[in-house]
Amino acid sequence: MTALAVRAPIAPPRPRRLAVRIASWTVAAVVVGAFVGLDIEWDKLADLPGDLVHYGSLMFSDPDWSMLPEALRQTWRSVSMAWLGALLGVVLSTMLGIPAAEGVGPLWLRLPLRGLFAIIRAVPEVVIAIIILTVTGLTPFTGALALAIGGIGTHAKWTYETVESAPGGAVEAVRAGGGGLLATIRWGLWPVISPELASLALYRFEINVRTSAILGLIGVGGIGDMLTTYTQHRQWDTVGVLIIVVIVVTMTIDAVSGAIRRRIMEGAKVRGVDRSS
Amino acid sequence: MSETITGSEAGGVAPPASGPWPIELDDVTVRYPNGVVALKNVSLSIAAGEMVAVVGLSGSGKSTMIRTVNGLVQPTGGRVTVGPHAVSELRGRALREARGDIGMIFQAFNLADRASVFHNALVGRFAHMPTWRTMLGLASAEDRDMVMRSLDSVGMLEKVWHRAGALSGGQKQRVAIARALSQEPAVMLADEPVASLDPPTAHAVMADLEDINASRGLTVLVNLHLMDLARQYTTRMIGLRAGEVVFDGPAATATDADFEAIYGRPVQARDRLGE
Repeated sequence: MTALAVRAPIAPPRPRRLAVRIASWTVAAVVVGAFVGLDIEWDKLADLPGDLVHYGSLMFSDPDWSMLPEALRQTWRSVSMAWLGALLGVVLSTMLGIPAAEGVGPLWLRLPLRGLFAIIRAVPEVVIAIIILTVTGLTPFTGALALAIGGIGTHAKWTYETVESAPGGAVEAVRAGGGGLLATIRWGLWPVISPELASLALYRFEINVRTSAILGLIGVGGIGDMLTTYTQHRQWDTVGVLIIVVIVVTMTIDAVSGAIRRRIMEGAKVRGVDRSS
Repeated sequence: MSETITGSEAGGVAPPASGPWPIELDDVTVRYPNGVVALKNVSLSIAAGEMVAVVGLSGSGKSTMIRTVNGLVQPTGGRVTVGPHAVSELRGRALREARGDIGMIFQAFNLADRASVFHNALVGRFAHMPTWRTMLGLASAEDRDMVMRSLDSVGMLEKVWHRAGALSGGQKQRVAIARALSQEPAVMLADEPVASLDPPTAHAVMADLEDINASRGLTVLVNLHLMDLARQYTTRMIGLRAGEVVFDGPAATATDADFEAIYGRPVQARDRLGE
């Protein structure tokens, strides 16, 4: 036993972390497999800067500004589609999201609702639009409906997460005063969560403006539709105008909506609140 | 929802609770789902119209105890009775009606900051309002009158259309008192009502509670952790330590040694509010 004292100290065995190792190798295999499977022609990559300059000059050297009124008209359709989709989507998400929050709805209601949101999240808006257009046809309303339904997946999730992270003081006060469930939601919860929900609704509108351009690809109208058409006809001087319009309009809406959201979350600039009691 | 309009209560003011009520806790135990036992076999008898302080450190169970009185926490054992209501046996509408007769104020005021002072105080009428009026925030003339009188009695009437969030701490707590008074309660509960306030405001709020007890004759049960406030404003003191009653006697004559027994440690400067 005395030999033990001079031996090296016995450290605990190093953890094997088998799961971490398997995960690392799997990720590596997927990355390598993706490159091999895509059959990339690497030499073409060298042409990319040249092509960019070529098509860039086709689009932007002499844009066909006579198309601007039509481009703005189609943009207005896209923005309307985005706005209507946001409005419908937010109303539905609020009605479905609040009962899906812990502490509001019972478990038997929360689980199926959350399952529904997860399924919707897994389906892209374009796929939803394709399903809906079998009923409503190739109209901007189809696009708005697709944005509304597609938005529920994430927006209802944001809604119940907002409810669950809201401070519960006012809720407790309404319960203590003898208010029922609806009264508690209306006067304990709603005043607390409504600013954040309003901010999220505007954010949903911003997202929809971008998504509506993609929805145009399947032909539901709007700026995306026009973009697809003129690209297919290789009328680059018009495509240039469309791209400029999309970028300017999207950035403007983002900036304005972002400013409004900040104003909602931070409240009005304090002009002198009465702090004396 | 089961909150349909029922007979004479529709839109009108229900008759106020008849006089102050006694509070009875009979062998009450609260064990939370995580296994923590917050109250152990507590039995108490508080007479109608008494002004009682419950003193103890945080974690002593006093917040849990006061919440068993209006059923925000349901005991896992024993029985709680407030006047005619067997609170611990009640569920649903009957429990909400009982809560309507029991006012409560909180350490963090628990106002909806984005709503007006009026709508915050109107919460005190919800137990007697039909659902459609509650949802719209539309008070009947009687309810409106009740709210205005409650706000007037705490000196907050001129702020009635201000947003609650724009008020100072002391003003918020007075709106919260008005909310509870709008219930025309028979019993007033207060959970650490002055712990978030500066000393002068704390004394003002304690004086308000004292006045509610003296002039309206309500039974008042107030949680405190400061010994001088308990001595000055209440007549009877109950000491809680680790979920058990370790002191029950007159508040004014409770000695520092009594407080040390309740706190389980020597009295420190922070156990007093001062002026």
